[in-house]
Amino acid sequence: MSDLTNEIVLKALADIVDPSLGKDIVSLGVVKNLQIEDARVSCEIQLAMQGKNHLKKQAIDRILEIPGVKEANVEIVIVKGNSVSGNSPIPGIKNIIPISSAKGGVGKSTVSANLAMALSKTGAKVGLMDADIYGPSIPTLLNVTESPTPKDNNVIIPVEKYGIKVMSMGFFLPKDKAVIWRGPMLNKMITQFLKGVDWGELDYLLIDLPPGTGDVQLTLCQQVPLTGAVIVSTPQIVALNIAKKGMAMFQQLNCPLIGIIENMSYYQIPDGEKDYIFGEGGAKKFAEELDLPFLGEIPIATSIRKQSDIGIPIVESEPESSYAKAFIAVAEKLASQINAMHSSGDVPQEIKLTF
Amino acid sequence: MNEKAAIPKEVTRANDHDIKIIWSDDCESIFVARDLRLRCQCAQCVEEMTGRKLLDPITVPLDVKPNEIKLVGRYAIQIWWSDGHGSGIFPFVFLRNLDEQMKELAAKKFEI
Repeated sequence: MSDLTNEIVLKALADIVDPSLGKDIVSLGVVKNLQIEDARVSCEIQLAMQGKNHLKKQAIDRILEIPGVKEANVEIVIVKGNSVSGNSPIPGIKNIIPISSAKGGVGKSTVSANLAMALSKTGAKVGLMDADIYGPSIPTLLNVTESPTPKDNNVIIPVEKYGIKVMSMGFFLPKDKAVIWRGPMLNKMITQFLKGVDWGELDYLLIDLPPGTGDVQLTLCQQVPLTGAVIVSTPQIVALNIAKKGMAMFQQLNCPLIGIIENMSYYQIPDGEKDYIFGEGGAKKFAEELDLPFLGEIPIATSIRKQSDIGIPIVESEPESSYAKAFIAVAEKLASQINAMHSSGDVPQEIKLTF
Repeated sequence: MNEKAAIPKEVTRANDHDIKIIWSDDCESIFVARDLRLRCQCAQCVEEMTGRKLLDPITVPLDVKPNEIKLVGRYAIQIWWSDGHGSGIFPFVFLRNLDEQMKELAAKKFEI
């Protein structure tokens, strides 16, 4: 059976669809190490998340259906974050992901904090940087009261809370004092947070951005190559239209967009019915129009708000609740999406500079 | 031009003065040092609100060359020139468009 080729095997695998990404595993580029020895075929499927063993079974079945194949060996390999580094100038950080909405008050910080914890619960190493210098809310959301410790040569060690590494301007200021700065000082602080913090090894560094398309966003895009931005919006047109401006900024600065999360999607009435307070499916339609992945919807709920106010995010306090599960589902989709971007080469490659 | 065409694979020297960019679609551009210096879009060279040119070409030496180039995130390069000027950021989209314009001009020269 010498006419068995990689193409034949890949063709057989090409109709296996990863349900969370809605694409087949061959065009996602996650089929790796394909080897053919006589009638034995072996390969790996690289995924970001556990629990997709049905893909393995499907793949084995498909390979065995190929005439001439006697044995099929498929392994699921979990790649956290991603193994591709190289274009990260912050050594040790595999993915830098800004969370943006451009509009204020849509719940970026709540979503960022819960996403960070949901990602960390899958075993990934996660950092959360609060880039909202004027109005830092991460310290409240995670109930951080201690200050980070300075190390020698101007390096700061981030605070560790609930298993994630956290940095925020709020750690350095008393609650009743305000930061009153012009642009250049903001830039300096963002650069310090990115490069002057001992983040260590991270699979994901999430950056909770302030509203707007200004100094902080620009500095971020200038200082480090970003994996891609995540857009958070409520379902309303007013919010989506402003989110669009944020997206335009990222596109102009060559930062890919990973996907859209809809926050405050609906209110679950105690009898189980969903009340779509701000309209139904706005962000999903928006994502479809722009051909961007829709990462999921997060309901508006008293317990999410309550847990945020006392500083124990719902993913930590009630991981089995439907609200926590909504965040976890979004985190899983985000991780798969990032993994797919890496394996299909959609993450911009390193620009070689020889001068 | 699609968006990906304006992302380089490599930024390097064409010679002692000029800058060469190899784009991700394998196209190559060469930017003559002084031409590029004169097209600097920074706030010292071009008035921000009106777009009026502030840079007087006479003040730029004929043999001006880049001393240092740094990447600005993923969308631009910043060039420090031998005449002491270093605040100019050249977005890749700008450079790719400039290259197309220059190539069009060069093609027209032959027609005349």
